[in-house]
Amino acid sequence: MKRNYHLYLGKAGHLNIMSEFLIRGWNVAIPEVDIGDDIFVVQDDNGILRRVQVKTATAAVRKNSFSGQFKIPLTQLKNISSILVHYVFIIRCGNHWTKPVIIRQDYLLEHWQNDKVGSEHKDFLKLYFSFADNKVECSGYDFSKYVSDFSDFPLAEV
Amino acid sequence: MEAIKINVNKQIDGYTFSIAPSIRELIKKWFPDSHPANNIFVSYDTKSDFEAYYRRLETYIYPALLGVNNQKEFNKKVDEILFIDTQTGSLLHKYKTTD
Repeated sequence: MKRNYHLYLGKAGHLNIMSEFLIRGWNVAIPEVDIGDDIFVVQDDNGILRRVQVKTATAAVRKNSFSGQFKIPLTQLKNISSILVHYVFIIRCGNHWTKPVIIRQDYLLEHWQNDKVGSEHKDFLKLYFSFADNKVECSGYDFSKYVSDFSDFPLAEV
Repeated sequence: MEAIKINVNKQIDGYTFSIAPSIRELIKKWFPDSHPANNIFVSYDTKSDFEAYYRRLETYIYPALLGVNNQKEFNKKVDEILFIDTQTGSLLHKYKTTD
């Protein structure tokens, strides 16, 4: 494995997700100064802005399933501002990317606080996504409804 | 009777008040004509100006955030509004709907 491969994987994940937004007719930009947001996603016609944080992982493959582990700073998750962050989780499994799991910040925060999803470790929330039988689970909670959930990024009308 | 939790996030320029998605769904279920908001931002200077002339901002924030018109029916279901600091989890303010 190449040295610092995680940096290459992370950037590849960003670019992969950026292309998905572009295909849907949303413009994308990477902030010049890195203060936590990975991508700004903008609807050009009306200026609607969404903040996106992309998280990538390599798959841990088992017999009939695979999984990926992610970590999110808790201060960022709890920092609810007027523009919520959309977390996008993708896993590199073999030669393919999984479909993105897209969860808005307030939903993820509630899953952690109320449903006990994930585990807290040194100011980070650790999430362990398991993919099996077309189902995605995190801490025993079904996250399948978030797979490719682009409902906050509707296709731009022609 | 239930208590409703409102998250308060202190930022560099003001407060963001928000409710959890499950609270929004609950309010919509109780009051189908309601329009709960995701969040409301109030800058620090607006808050202090407002409170100099009126009273605590929180008293006015929760009706705007929850988007319920029928206060009488609302008070039958909810007796307490709790304002919680999202970063620390501490209780910042408690409001009794019967006050």
